[in-house]
Amino acid sequence: MIADCLKLTTYSGERHRSGRTFLADAQLDLFGRREITTSILLRGAEGFGLKHHLRTDRLLTLSEDLPVVSVAVDTRPRIEALLEDLPAVEHRGLVTLESARMLRGDLGPLRLPDELMGAVKLTVYVGRQERVYRVPAFAAVCELLHRRGIAGATALLGVDGTAHGRRRRARFLGRNAEVPMMIIAVGSGERIGRIVPELGGLLRQPLITLEQVRVCKRDGELVERPHAPPTTDELGTAMWQKLMVYTSERALHDGQPVHRALVRRLRSSGARGATVLRGMWGFHGETAPHGDRLLQLGRRVPVVTIIIDTTDRIATSFDIVDELTAEHGVVTSEMVPALGARFGE
Amino acid sequence: MTVVLWVGVVLIGGAGSVLRFAVDGVIASRTGSAFPYGTLVVNLSGAVLLGLITGLAPGRDEALLAGTAAVGSYTTFSTWMFETQRLGEDRQMRNLAANVVVSLFAGVAAAALGRLVGSHL
Repeated sequence: MIADCLKLTTYSGERHRSGRTFLADAQLDLFGRREITTSILLRGAEGFGLKHHLRTDRLLTLSEDLPVVSVAVDTRPRIEALLEDLPAVEHRGLVTLESARMLRGDLGPLRLPDELMGAVKLTVYVGRQERVYRVPAFAAVCELLHRRGIAGATALLGVDGTAHGRRRRARFLGRNAEVPMMIIAVGSGERIGRIVPELGGLLRQPLITLEQVRVCKRDGELVERPHAPPTTDELGTAMWQKLMVYTSERALHDGQPVHRALVRRLRSSGARGATVLRGMWGFHGETAPHGDRLLQLGRRVPVVTIIIDTTDRIATSFDIVDELTAEHGVVTSEMVPALGARFGE
Repeated sequence: MTVVLWVGVVLIGGAGSVLRFAVDGVIASRTGSAFPYGTLVVNLSGAVLLGLITGLAPGRDEALLAGTAAVGSYTTFSTWMFETQRLGEDRQMRNLAANVVVSLFAGVAAAALGRLVGSHL
């Protein structure tokens, strides 16, 4: 089954409040009550927002109030109904609404819609402890993507969310078996289209989304600069651009991991915000899918840096991204209608 | 008397850790650097203060409140270690070595300086 759906994403801080509760909790409570098909709350490793306060897990004091990203995917009417009751992110966050295709249930051979014939972002939602043939589902999915020649994949661990409409929140003690994870990969529509039925065979209850993206850079080589989209859509919503930079903790620029250098450069350039999400498993290119090891000094996992800004500013940010990903990494661009974008202006 | 003293330790100790949070936060976000300057400044200034206090040779209760409670909660060994480990994770070997060496040697020098000044006041 392939359905038209909407993906609601909010970017805020872990300690942002909405009345008496934390904003992220209020959002996820709402997703749970509305039985949203899939939603996930991700904690960032580093980032900054509209006020340019740097948050990083590298320093103890600055790891207070790390960035959080919540994602909710469901059919268009159900997400639109959600918007009316979504707690406001006020002056510190951002809400975006993107269209996506959701695939669930029996995934036989399928023909992707025409708009997905270019580059496609594949997102697979699985449970933390979900297993396929005795291997963790996230590892099995990464392995499949690797074997089928996809350039890279990143598995992100959620701390809260809903799966098939049921709330699954991680607890400090407990197996947290069904707390959602998401695996992100970018590839050509044609190749992804061939992998989808295989994923359908692998997973018991597949839950997959496909989104149209443009690949700007691959392994340090410029494919194309982000296109300038119209600044508003037909309903007058501001159209912004999203860059996603897929790199590895191992990739260094000037002695620093690329994503760390990127956040610092973007912050001093006056960009509106950036969020780094660290994967717990994944791969880039030829290296086999891997996580971190218990005994290691340097980290090896993949990371994703998300940069959302207005079209004119994204050009400046892209120059920085371009410079820092001279040898490594995949960069994609997407158009995003930004809803709750307020800049404290 | 001892109850008042221990309540004093609790309050001053709490204030010390809040002060550290503030100082560290301001320095770390101002510099925006990979190197943990905030923790370094906190530990060095704490070492000077502690040297100064012991140099002044206060009474037993005053030493407990100013030394153990105030400076003890203001400075942080665990954060120094934690941030050093994080530098290792990021493959920042030069910063890692600098963080250990500078904190250690400058820290001892800071404590000695504080003590010297304190004993001449």
